[in-house]
Amino acid sequence: MELIVTLLRELYQYREMIRSLVHRDLRGRYKGSMLGFLWTFINPLMQLVVYTVVFSNIMRMGIEDYYLFLFVALIPWMFFSTSITNGSSCIWANQNLVTKIYFPREVLPLSVVTANFINMLYCLIIVIAVVLLMGKPINYEAWLYLPLVFGIEYILTLGFTLIFSACMVYLRDLEHILGIVAMAWQFLCPIMYPVSMVPDYFFPYYNFNPMTPIIIAIRDILYDGCVPDVITLGMAATYGVVFLLIGIVSFGKLKKGFAEEL
Amino acid sequence: MTAAIRVEDVKKNFKVYHDKGYSLKEKLLFWHRNDYETRWVLQGVSFSVAKGEAIGLIGKNGCGKSTMLKLLSRIMYPDFGKIKIDGRVASLIELGAGFHPDMSGMENIYINASIFGLTRKEIKSKIDEIVSFSELEDYIDNPVRTYSSGMYMRLAFAVAINVRADILLVDEILAVGDLKFQEKCYKKLRDIKQNGTTIVIVSHDLGQVESICDRSIWIKDGLVYKEGRPKEVHPLYVNEMLE
Repeated sequence: MELIVTLLRELYQYREMIRSLVHRDLRGRYKGSMLGFLWTFINPLMQLVVYTVVFSNIMRMGIEDYYLFLFVALIPWMFFSTSITNGSSCIWANQNLVTKIYFPREVLPLSVVTANFINMLYCLIIVIAVVLLMGKPINYEAWLYLPLVFGIEYILTLGFTLIFSACMVYLRDLEHILGIVAMAWQFLCPIMYPVSMVPDYFFPYYNFNPMTPIIIAIRDILYDGCVPDVITLGMAATYGVVFLLIGIVSFGKLKKGFAEEL
Repeated sequence: MTAAIRVEDVKKNFKVYHDKGYSLKEKLLFWHRNDYETRWVLQGVSFSVAKGEAIGLIGKNGCGKSTMLKLLSRIMYPDFGKIKIDGRVASLIELGAGFHPDMSGMENIYINASIFGLTRKEIKSKIDEIVSFSELEDYIDNPVRTYSSGMYMRLAFAVAINVRADILLVDEILAVGDLKFQEKCYKKLRDIKQNGTTIVIVSHDLGQVESICDRSIWIKDGLVYKEGRPKEVHPLYVNEMLE
C-alpha cells in the first residue's frame, strides 16, 4: 500500500513527462501523412463501412443492425489489443533512456495506454454519432455508466501492459507471441457474436476472460440501451483492480533489472 | 549532522555472458550459451555523505565507481546491502539522453527537463536561466541536429545543472565546451554546493575533485580502500598509480 502511494506521488511529480510523451505519441502517429489527424476518424469509419457491406449482405448473422452490434464492441477491444501489443515494447524501445536516466519506469507504459485511450475516445465520437443517427433506443441513465466502464477498461489495460512490457525486456519473443494471443483473445470475447451463443458447458471458462464483462457492459449501454447488471459491473471492476495490482507489483519487481538486461 | 546518502555494505555483480541468447529459441536450443561468469564489481562498499557535503569517488578504470554512481541514481539496484537517500536526486551522468535531433533546442529543453521530473511550471520559471547558461540564445529555435557537439553538450549541461535537487551526481563530464564554459560550470557547481546541495563526483581529474570536494573516497577492487581529505588521499593514490 505504501509502495503504491509513493509510486503515485512520484508519477504526479513526473506528470509533465507523461503529458509530453502522450502528446508526442498522438501527434506523431499520423505525422507526414496528408490527412494527418483526420485518420483517427477515417479509420473507424472505413471499418464501419466494410462491416456494414460484409455483414448486412454476405455473412448475415440474423442480428439486428449487426454492424453496430460489432462496432460498439470492436472499438474498446482495439484499444485493449493495440495497447498490449504495441505497449509491450515500450521499455525496450526506450532503452536509451532507461539505461541512462532515472525516472519512474511506469511512466512509459502509462503514457502508451493513455495515448491509446485518448485515441479511442475520439473513435467513440463516431460510435456515438452512429448510435444517435440510427435511431437506436437511447437510455441516458445507462450512458451514465459509460465513464465507469471505460475507467475499468483503462486500469485493466494498464495492468496487462505493465506486465507484458516488463516481461518483454527479458524475453523478446513475447512481442510475437502477443500478436497470436491477441488474435485468439479477440475470438474468445463476445465481439463478433452475442454471449448467448456460447454453449453452457463452455460458459464457466468463458468468464475467466477479464475482457468479457467489459464488452458485455459496453454493448448493453450503447447497443441495447439498458443499464448493465451489477454482476457484470462487479466482475469487470474486480478484474480491473486485480490485474492492475498484479501489474504494479510485478512491474515493480522486474524493473530493477531493466538497466542490466537491456 | 544528518546523512543525505548512506551506503551500507553494498555489493553488485554483473553476469558476463559468453554468448547470450535473447529469443526463446536461442534460450531453449542453445541453453549452454547462457553460461556466464559472475563478476563482483562492488564487494561490500559502505560510506555516508552528510547533507551539503561534496565527495569525490576516485579509482582506476573498472574499479566500480561509475557503477556506484548508477546505483545512487537508481538506474541499477544493488544485489546486496542498502542505499538510503534522503532528498531529490539529479544526475549529470549521461548528458543529452532523450534529445530529439529534429526538434528545436527550446523543445528539447522542455522534453529533457520533463524527463528529470520537472513540471511545466518549473521549467517555465527556469527557461531563461537555462538558455542564457547554454549561451545558445541565437540558435535555440534551430533543430538540435544542426548543433555542433560542443553546443549540444552545452545545452544538455545547462538543462541538467538547473534541475533543483538536494543531491547532485556528476560523472566525468566537466570536459564540456571551451575553457570559459568549463570555468562557468565549476563556478555553478560551487554555487550549488554553497546553497547546501550534496554533491558526489566521479572523476579522474584530481584537480577537479580537490577544488570542489571536501572528501575523497578511493575505491579499489570493489572496496573502499581509503577515504579522507583530498589533499591527503590523492598523493597516495598518485603514488600507487605511477608505481
